[in-house]
Amino acid sequence: MAGNNKRVIVVGGGLAGLAASIRVAEGGVPVDLFSMVPVKRSHSVCAQGGINACNEVARQQGYSEYQHFDETLYGGDYLADQGPVLEMANWAPRIIDLLDRMGVPFNRTSEGFRDLRLFGGSLFKRTHFAGATTGQQLLYGLDEQTRRFASEGKINKREFWEFLWPIIDGEGEDRRCVGIVAQDMRTMQIQAFRADAVVMATGGCGIVFGKSTNSVICTGGAASRCYQAGAWYGNGEMIQVHPTAIPGADKCRLMSESARGEGGRVWVPRKKGDTRDPTSIAENERWYFLEEKYPKYGNLVPRDIATREIFDVCVNEHMGIGGENMVYLDLTHMDPHYLTEKLGGILEIYEKFAGADPRFTPMKIFPAVHYSMGGLWTTYTPGDYQPESPAGIHNPGDESPASTAVGQGMEFGAHNNMMTNIRGLYAFGEVNFAYHGATRLGANALLSCIFDGLFNGVSVTNYVLDGVAEDQGAATVSAAVFDHAVEQEQAKQAQLLATVSDSGSTDPQFNPYTIAGELGVEMTAASTVVKTGPRLEQCLEKIKELRERYSQVKLGDAAAWTNQSLSFTRALGDMLIMGEVIAKGGLLREESRGSHYRLDFPDRDDDRFLKASVAEYNATSGESTIMWKDVQTALVKPKPRTYGKVEEKEPAREEAVAASGS
Amino acid sequence: MSGEQTFFERNYFLLRRLHSLSGIVPIGMFLIMHLTTNSSVVWGAINSRELHDTAMDRGVATFQHEVSFINNLPLLLLIEIFGLWLPIAFHAIFGVYFAMSGSNNVARYAYQGNKRYALQRLTGYVGFVFILYHVATLRWGWSWLTPGGTQWSHYFASSTLAAALKGSGGEWSFAGVIVSLGYFVGVTSLVFHFANGLWTAAITWGLTVSEKSQQQWGRVCAALGAGVMLAGWSALFGFVFLVDHDRAVAVEEQMVVEKYGPEYLEKLREKYDLEPEMQASAIRDAADRPYPGPAPKLDD
Amino acid sequence: MSNTATNGQPSSAAPVPTRTVTFRIKRCDGPGQPTRWEDFKVPVVPSSNVISCLNWIAEHPVTASGQQTTPVVWDCSCLEEVCGACTMVINGKARQSCSCLIDQEAPREGDVITLEPMSKFPVVRDLWVDRQRLFKGLEKIKAWVPIDGTYNLGAGPKEEPDDQQMRYTLSTCMSCGCCLEACPQYHKEEQEADWENAFVGAAVLSQARLFNAHPNGKVLEGERLDALLGVGGVNDCGNAQNCVKVCPKEIPLTESIAAIGRAATVHAIGRFFRGK
Ligand SMILES: Cc1cc2nc3c(=O)[nH]c(=O)nc-3n(C[C@H](O)[C@H](O)[C@H](O)COP(=O)(O)OP(=O)(O)OC[C@H]3O[C@@H](n4cnc5c(N)ncnc54)[C@H](O)[C@@H]3O)c2cc1C
Ligand code: SF4
Ligand code: SF4
Ligand code: FES
Repeated sequence: MAGNNKRVIVVGGGLAGLAASIRVAEGGVPVDLFSMVPVKRSHSVCAQGGINACNEVARQQGYSEYQHFDETLYGGDYLADQGPVLEMANWAPRIIDLLDRMGVPFNRTSEGFRDLRLFGGSLFKRTHFAGATTGQQLLYGLDEQTRRFASEGKINKREFWEFLWPIIDGEGEDRRCVGIVAQDMRTMQIQAFRADAVVMATGGCGIVFGKSTNSVICTGGAASRCYQAGAWYGNGEMIQVHPTAIPGADKCRLMSESARGEGGRVWVPRKKGDTRDPTSIAENERWYFLEEKYPKYGNLVPRDIATREIFDVCVNEHMGIGGENMVYLDLTHMDPHYLTEKLGGILEIYEKFAGADPRFTPMKIFPAVHYSMGGLWTTYTPGDYQPESPAGIHNPGDESPASTAVGQGMEFGAHNNMMTNIRGLYAFGEVNFAYHGATRLGANALLSCIFDGLFNGVSVTNYVLDGVAEDQGAATVSAAVFDHAVEQEQAKQAQLLATVSDSGSTDPQFNPYTIAGELGVEMTAASTVVKTGPRLEQCLEKIKELRERYSQVKLGDAAAWTNQSLSFTRALGDMLIMGEVIAKGGLLREESRGSHYRLDFPDRDDDRFLKASVAEYNATSGESTIMWKDVQTALVKPKPRTYGKVEEKEPAREEAVAASGS
Repeated sequence: MSGEQTFFERNYFLLRRLHSLSGIVPIGMFLIMHLTTNSSVVWGAINSRELHDTAMDRGVATFQHEVSFINNLPLLLLIEIFGLWLPIAFHAIFGVYFAMSGSNNVARYAYQGNKRYALQRLTGYVGFVFILYHVATLRWGWSWLTPGGTQWSHYFASSTLAAALKGSGGEWSFAGVIVSLGYFVGVTSLVFHFANGLWTAAITWGLTVSEKSQQQWGRVCAALGAGVMLAGWSALFGFVFLVDHDRAVAVEEQMVVEKYGPEYLEKLREKYDLEPEMQASAIRDAADRPYPGPAPKLDD
Repeated sequence: MSNTATNGQPSSAAPVPTRTVTFRIKRCDGPGQPTRWEDFKVPVVPSSNVISCLNWIAEHPVTASGQQTTPVVWDCSCLEEVCGACTMVINGKARQSCSCLIDQEAPREGDVITLEPMSKFPVVRDLWVDRQRLFKGLEKIKAWVPIDGTYNLGAGPKEEPDDQQMRYTLSTCMSCGCCLEACPQYHKEEQEADWENAFVGAAVLSQARLFNAHPNGKVLEGERLDALLGVGGVNDCGNAQNCVKVCPKEIPLTESIAAIGRAATVHAIGRFFRGK
């Protein structure tokens, strides 16, 4: 089938990248898989809570794939195109089955069925999990299959290789991606690689915010490079802040939502500044503010709501523990054995990094940047389900308007599924903006990553085999195109290395780590839980200043071997541009939707902003411009997103707006 | 696998497992037997079948019986070669080879298990050197290596052993102190090596898998080791501190006379170049000694 | 600008350092280059760990004696002890640097923390080593379940919760290499050609057990055991049991080794009677 030396490059060895590699290799096209870290160490390994899918138990209680789809849209405040989300929800049970066959040790019921847990954004148990390290287990499952393909020579793993730039041939509409430039992080050798399609699966960009729950490799550098090379970036401003993280010196470690799913309760002492030992504070002296404000969902409200409520309680009402920005996440009312079995891994993390046992002491937590709903803009071919008019409210037990057959939401195997605006360049996983709209529901990310790889991997294979004419394959592209790309990267590197001064005086003004630190603090302060126009403008000013300083950055290491400073500093330039996109989108989106909360525009504004923000980079000016693209809402009619909140809380918000004076 | 495999590589598993097995059967089993036999020089004191006056004499006599029994086994040399020397050589050669593939990191990882791992190798080396010395001096008759140049004889098992440990005539010599200490270290090493090896063998063969069962088996091995150690130490203690050389000779000569007659004793004297004076007195003592009961049965 | 829009993140109100700790770091510019020690005085806060200190050094690459130097090179990713990247020899012992809290490792004023690269793997630069051999080992034992493909073929086999728990525990191995670093039977092999006959180590043995325990993974049990019967296989373990002591994931490695030993015994006997 592929006797025609066609190849695919996958950049990124997280869930999305591995699933894509496996699927493409299985389709008969050899894959070159690039990753900055051994794929087994990709950031996906951090995911704890689980992966969503409709299942028999939930189904018999009235749940369905369609409802999973509906919840995902509702959770994302209708900012996602609906077709792909429907397809993803429909595929979820198949994906779980496949992972199960790969040997992923999903937790079991006593009868040997896969166990389920409750997760935010749903009233049904629909989250499958493997201990408290689901992401790790899923990643390993795929890593093992990848290893199998690698041992058969079908996947060529290039670990410790950094993607530097996509190689794009042609102009305007004819542009297509024909390979990448990459660098061996040990030898520092820069090299071009040909491919008929390139799949970006490089994950999120949490490091733009300095301390986040992300791994240190999640700089967003790779996405930013594609963006600078002409790919569009969608909904950059949609950054999810996780309500429960453990603040730390180097990162904020996640306390999974499963802690709430298993019964964890969020509270603060009713008395302001109470410094008593939490276990000695009586029940009636505790304020379970989530349960009080959202009697229906209680502690399991979606992330953005939980985050904002915690934030509100701490920052606006100064009710945080001992006056600090922290609240209790309490599991101590539960059986320690049960907790160990269900949450062992994450409780260990708390114990390890905070030094106290959460089975006996309530944990102290605060929100932290967690996930980027935004990402490279992608397109797709709609599927067969095309209702006359969008469906209204869907209640449990209602008959699903759409079937679960393959291709309802997206056409299976269509060449352009999750392709960026550049032909042959795809974006899968967290780096893809497609599925989660304005907020991602817990345990939906792992699903979207694997779904991208498995479902859209077929699109890649089809595109490469049928969409690229035999005489137009990447192999026919002139060597000059590749040489030029390599030279460009070499020049960039030489320029950075030339800044290393012999005298060794390092002015913090131009120290890359200092600049990165300032970027993180600024982005976190201006562009996370609560945003305002003036603050975002200030943030953009700050980024401008940082970009200015970056142009004179001084590297501390001139080595031509394993130069991490060089790699980091290069990525820093890309992070600054990413930061600008995020802040700019946030500034221009004058509404509140999902994770994006504008104090000065507290309401959702479907008329103006039921649209994706799409950023485009001007390579000459270095500026980003934002376009607005309509969101496809033909399947479900957007409805207000309240999660059954008891309404007496509204005045408090207005007061806050008034108090902000902005 | 790349290229041709050597015989060693092809049979690696078998050789490894034989190495493990040989440490238990026959070597370990022999060790137990050997040390219990030898400790009879002490525990024989409570042997009611021996009717000597003193406890020590009963011990010497019991030990002598055991030694004689073994020495009268048919095809002894074959048994020794195939049941003992070859297995020991095999166990030792491969043991040294395998041990050389390890490296000691007890300084950094001072866990109990790691210490035992290091000790297992150390005691293997020590034990092997000790066995060589032990066999060379007492079995092959390299008497120039013993303090006082004593030649061990299975007809005079206790007395010649005591002399081989301490010095000629069972009198302490400086070399004797060294050799006795050497025996203490050697025996201790071997018993540890055996007990610990028995514990690890159960893991190697997969008999004890769970941590609990490994612990349990560890206790069993420790108890067994302690028992064998007690036998070994008491034997050594007996030969070094309890056996009275002259009295022992008397008991032994009497047993030779009873079994083979005085002429045979003369022959033995000649062969072993035994000092006539002492032997004369000894035989007279033996002949004079009134035996209150029938002589113990020996197969003739 | 109101303070409500500054998002009150802890990062903006970082705690003031309470004291400094000296780091002695073994450095090496690349394979075949000489090694040297460099000292750094690093300010720490109660939540500091080795990684946050290395980050600080990267930003301030000046030794304790005031010498300008290069940022230290090291490997890390998740910072929550789940990716396995950041293994180092800290004060003589192999462990994850991200979970090494300074207040626990160097609680007293004047305490020194030494950092060295793992000694059992070739050094790439400074604290970064090449652990490719470990992954090759996983390939050698076919550490995967041989599924029929990614088509939709229904669920996998049902499984008892106890079996799942057992597999889950083994499956948390993050290939960090601590167990190999501490193992007296595991040695550095620079050349890939020598990996074939060198000891695979506890992690790989345990993974063989993991996949043999899966109803479908079992299909390859014979091949896995064949790979482990030879030189460098299960027999090369000397039962020092350091591996289980240092494993940050507390994987019952010695149980795995015994289980593989048992399977190997049975397999070898079977092979003998079947005549291979
Ligand atoms: C702490 C935490 C817990 C989470 N828990 C859950 C959960 O319970 N459920 C859920 O559904 N989701 C969860 N998520 C989200 C989910 O883990 C991620 O969205 C998902 O793993 C992303 O996978 P990915 O394949 O897109 O990318 P990643 O896993 O991030 O992988 C990115 C890959 O790209 C490579 N890469 C990056 N840049 C380059 C470059 N320049 N050159 C070469 N390679 C590069 C990296 O080496 C890596 O292999 C969690 C996230 C975090 C941070
Ligand atoms: S038990 Fe085996 S694998 Fe573990 S440290 Fe000891 S020798 Fe190494
Ligand atoms: S077994 Fe433990 S120590 Fe060894 S690599 Fe796995 S996690 Fe690390
Ligand atoms: S950085 Fe992942 S284990 Fe330490």
